[in-house]
Amino acid sequence: MKKIIVLLTAVLLIALVWFFALSLNAPKISNVKTQEGKGLPSGFELLKLNGEKVNETELNNGIVLLNVWASWCITCLVEHPFLNELSETYNIDVIGINYKDKLGDAIRYLDKNGDPYIYSIHDYDGKYALKLGVTGAPETFLLIDGEIVKHRVGEVNQQVWDEEFSNFF
Amino acid sequence: MKNLATFFSIFFINFFIYADQLYTGLDEQQLKRLNHLSDNIRCPKCSYGNISSSNAPISKDLKEEIAQMILAKKTDDEIYDTMSERYGDYILLNDVEKRNPLIFLAPLIALIISILVVTIYTIKKSK
Amino acid sequence: MGGGVYLLSKFLTNDFSFLYVAQNSNVLLPTFYKVSAFWSAHEGSFYLMILLLSFASSVGLYISKDHAFTSYVITSQGIIVFTYLLFMIFVSSPFLRLDFAPANGADLNPLLQDPLLAIHPPIIFSGYVFYAVTFCYVIAGLFSGFSKELFQHLKIWAGISWFTLSFGILLGSIWAYYELGWGGYWFWDPVENISLMPWIAGTALTHSLVYSRDKLLLSWMVFLAILTFLLSVFGSFIVRSGILNSVHSFAADPSRGIFLLSIFALFSLISFALFIKNFTKMESAWPKVGSRNYLVVLNNIVLSGILLVVFIGTLYPILTEVIFRQKLSIGPDYFSQLISPLVLVLIALFTYEQFMSLSVKTIFKLSGLLVVSATVLFIVLPANVYLNLIFSFVFLVVLAIKAIYDFQQRGTLIQPHKVLGHFSVALMTLAIIFNHNFSERVDIRISPGDEIKVMNADIQFESIDIVAEQNFDSVKANFVVNENITLTPEKRIYKVGGQITSETAVNSNIVKDYLIVLGDRFEDGSWSAAFSIKYGILIIWLSAGLLLVSMLYGTIRRA
Repeated sequence: MKKIIVLLTAVLLIALVWFFALSLNAPKISNVKTQEGKGLPSGFELLKLNGEKVNETELNNGIVLLNVWASWCITCLVEHPFLNELSETYNIDVIGINYKDKLGDAIRYLDKNGDPYIYSIHDYDGKYALKLGVTGAPETFLLIDGEIVKHRVGEVNQQVWDEEFSNFF
Repeated sequence: MKNLATFFSIFFINFFIYADQLYTGLDEQQLKRLNHLSDNIRCPKCSYGNISSSNAPISKDLKEEIAQMILAKKTDDEIYDTMSERYGDYILLNDVEKRNPLIFLAPLIALIISILVVTIYTIKKSK
Repeated sequence: MGGGVYLLSKFLTNDFSFLYVAQNSNVLLPTFYKVSAFWSAHEGSFYLMILLLSFASSVGLYISKDHAFTSYVITSQGIIVFTYLLFMIFVSSPFLRLDFAPANGADLNPLLQDPLLAIHPPIIFSGYVFYAVTFCYVIAGLFSGFSKELFQHLKIWAGISWFTLSFGILLGSIWAYYELGWGGYWFWDPVENISLMPWIAGTALTHSLVYSRDKLLLSWMVFLAILTFLLSVFGSFIVRSGILNSVHSFAADPSRGIFLLSIFALFSLISFALFIKNFTKMESAWPKVGSRNYLVVLNNIVLSGILLVVFIGTLYPILTEVIFRQKLSIGPDYFSQLISPLVLVLIALFTYEQFMSLSVKTIFKLSGLLVVSATVLFIVLPANVYLNLIFSFVFLVVLAIKAIYDFQQRGTLIQPHKVLGHFSVALMTLAIIFNHNFSERVDIRISPGDEIKVMNADIQFESIDIVAEQNFDSVKANFVVNENITLTPEKRIYKVGGQITSETAVNSNIVKDYLIVLGDRFEDGSWSAAFSIKYGILIIWLSAGLLLVSMLYGTIRRA
């Protein structure tokens, strides 16, 4: 009886320690899942910052890079020079989703920091982004024929681009 | 006994539709559902806490969206599904028990077994 | 000790050439918080724990000068301090220098800039440290045998440990309630649960120790002391290794995790080996069925059950993440649904204990009466009142009547700490369930100058003020509830980090609290705000205070 208890305690302890040693080295999973494999939400009347209507079939065809940004978002400002570089040097089309911003602030921000976007969708109340699965700014989506193949939460920089996005272009 | 009943009933809150509510158009029952649902959905952007207790903008947006879904006559399960479909199971705070009853039963079973074992042991020992 | 004073002086003189000072302090920070910044992050808090442990050992040494067990106590304390010092020197030194001293520091996390939270960590750490000292006495007992004097020391250390740790946890709860502003005092957050586990084991230990006159169930108590210590070591591993993501956890560093896990493995190995090897030294009487001691055994089993619930609920999500690569959450519902009936069982046990001297027949009659009155209450009361609430209420009334009856019969209470302690547990349970059952909240939208009526309360939004303070700017909203209660919730913007925090306004009375948290401003000038009514909060604090007092009295009265 005593031996069984000793053995049992030993096994339990070893299992516990082994498990936590394992968990220390386990790669971290993000808490909230990304939107890869899904499509864009439908049923929205999307407008550009200049007031024009967005052609939604355009968003659902070919390779589309969507970047969620806002003038009040500090990380977006950090990310901005890289986006400029993307559009100027790499000649990649980026479509912006201006998230919960006042129109004036958004336009002033682009005037000041440069406009890497071919156009930006004005998502004033953030409802479109919410349905898209955005939890904050900045976030970046890569779509192929309407399907999200990459979803990056947080800043995209050269390293992230090289590792996760560049092979699609 | 009667006094006790009044003692309890003064704490009863009579709900009606508030004009000054942030999430408009909900009646008493629906507001309760909104509170219950948002107590059990985790804020996706925060390190912990549910959406009813967090100040993050995304929590407010989600609460508003849930309010809209309640108004659109969605059931609680449908609302939970929409949320976990979008953000993953991590944000459901009361889902594990439903899907894995063992988590619920294991401590109870262990408790009952140990009480039985100890009692039997004690009875044997005292003989 | 000298090192501690040295590091503290670096905080006070803004010497940012020390990495740790630069990361956690700031020129603008008030002096009080410069002191508390010492233990606000991983390195400093660990260092503080080592300092406390050395300090507690010296005090313990001074008190228990010349006993057979003293040398064993000193040795085991020495080993623990030595191991932790190794850890500190190699992976967690607070003394790292920066090549270039920055002009200013990164500031202390604004959430931590609160007097309660400034003193809460050292008290919690002291609680763990005292349990470590208790553990050392137990280890000494394994070598030298459990003499009467050793047992006496054990009791006092366990009592002090329990008092300190519980007091620390209570302060944390009070802080969470008033500062985090969600109207909650316990969130079943993983880190809270981790800190609760040694507390539950420690409660079982201290309760049995303080209660027992004879060395009842010695081996079980030794096991509990070891468990309490190991759980606190385990806790520091979990919290400091970055496995959990929580508002409480420290920044992650894998090398620390491996080091702390090894310490945990080492301590477990040594203490269980000693436990098993010296099992024969702990032989003691086993209680009879139905005796008081048997009830203590049952109490220990139920407490272990609660411990198991917390253990499973906290570690299961980590398990699924590591093994099945699947993230999930276990929320407060799991814990409250499982733990509240178990706590009621505990209350039932000690209520029954009060009536044990009566004949079996009378007890049957009384419990029949109890069930009938609970049933009647259940039928009479509105349908959405929890059954748990009714039972805790009935038990509380029974306990109170019995205490008053005894007092009138004898003119004094035998073991007043027991009566008071059990009464306060019942009162706290009632208050918590009551709070859980009836508290309400609603999100409102209101403009300055407006008056609205929600949840039977009048809310008047008078004005908005903008105030500048030493290290933050703030927006203060002036509300008046029910015409005479002034509530001024705030939003603060900290000058250094730019973080925005919300300060909840709370008005408490013995029955209910009103809380307002200020939300955002809309373009039309109106504001969103969360308004809640919480019941029984003061009663919860009060009963917790009574419980602390009763345990303290129970400890020192035989010292």
